[in-house]
Amino acid sequence: MAHDTAAHHDAHDGHHHDDGAVHAHVSSARFYVGIFLGLIALTLLTVGVSYVHLGPANLAVAVVIASIKATLVVMFFMHLKYDSKFNAVIFISGLLFIGVFFAYTLNDTDHRGQVDDEQGTQVLPSTGAAAPGGYTPPVHHEAAKHEGATSEKGAEKPGVEGEKGGAAETVGKPATGEGHH
Amino acid sequence: MSAEASSVVDPHAAGHDDHGHDEHEHEHPKFLAHHFDTPVQQFESAKLGMWTFLVQELLFFSGLFVAYGVFRSWYPEAFSGASHELNKVMGAGNTIVLLFSSWTAAMAVRATQLGQKKMTSMFLLVTIACAFIFLGVKYFEYGAKFNEGLLPGKYFGHAYDVSSIFPASLGFHTNLEPSEHLPAHASSYFSLYFMMTGVHALHIIVGIGVLIWIWRRNERGEFSKEFFTPVDIAALYWHLVDLVWIYLFPLLYLID
Repeated sequence: MAHDTAAHHDAHDGHHHDDGAVHAHVSSARFYVGIFLGLIALTLLTVGVSYVHLGPANLAVAVVIASIKATLVVMFFMHLKYDSKFNAVIFISGLLFIGVFFAYTLNDTDHRGQVDDEQGTQVLPSTGAAAPGGYTPPVHHEAAKHEGATSEKGAEKPGVEGEKGGAAETVGKPATGEGHH
Repeated sequence: MSAEASSVVDPHAAGHDDHGHDEHEHEHPKFLAHHFDTPVQQFESAKLGMWTFLVQELLFFSGLFVAYGVFRSWYPEAFSGASHELNKVMGAGNTIVLLFSSWTAAMAVRATQLGQKKMTSMFLLVTIACAFIFLGVKYFEYGAKFNEGLLPGKYFGHAYDVSSIFPASLGFHTNLEPSEHLPAHASSYFSLYFMMTGVHALHIIVGIGVLIWIWRRNERGEFSKEFFTPVDIAALYWHLVDLVWIYLFPLLYLID
């Protein structure tokens, strides 16, 4: 009986789900070796590129190479290419939500403590004090050390642009005059 | 209701008949749980469940990656400077070990799909061995960071005597005046470094347990051409661990 069933499977490999048995796509060993070698090549490439100074593009290149590697792993090692399409939908929607997570968070954190001249969002109009929710933007090495003593308490308050100098000073008396209407 | 009830009662009526449900034209295989109609339905359900879990894992890790994004965007010099304290050779070596283990995991699934029990065991054991190598390298990396005071958050730059865990005989040399040359906020980088690689290493440890369990079940002869789902599912988990590392390596070790 078991032999009969096996023969039946082989003969009708194209017709999935007919007999309720699992017909997985089996890639060749040679194919898997190829994918592995591709992954190694991309690893060496990403290490190599890291020694070339491309400025901000270094991060982009590293993430693109990592994503190509991840795609190879997901599609072939994890069989998503041959899998039920619904699993791919789940996976890709997960990636979309990670994108949403990144976009909204960085859109917030990257723009804190910026002064909006027209709306004065950095200043609390009632007291003239700094508005909450800001952060002290990174400043250059020496300035950071100088600021170090006050930054423990100052971190919660919005700073000013580093180059305009004297974060501690401006927190005390913000935007002379302009906050009072 | 009554029809449902009678179908539940039926197997009992059939007594100790292993073949179970009469309504199926095929025999009910031993590996097929009674609440599935066919092996393929069982297989697809298991895969669906696993992919859902994997996406949850990615979303879980994405919290750490977003934190990384926020802090790197705030303190780019700190990340650049601090990342040079990591050993690129160890990082790249570990990447290759993990990619190789991902390949052996895929090969283990292939072997079991073809009904090659011995090959399956062999590939599973190589995968487990790679996992231990990965953790061994991490031990040396962590040891070096501990001895240099390159620690997370408030512990950054503090002198801790950890020579009992990371002895000089293993090549660890203590350098307890670190971080003077590092930019401000380098401690944020090391907080993220230890959190991200630590949670990842925890996944490696869990993976070792899962793979040993699957290896033992394979040795007991539980898997076949017709039923290889657990090997497949365990390999999917292992690939996820690899997937996370694919991003961790360039983001932590290869900053400009």
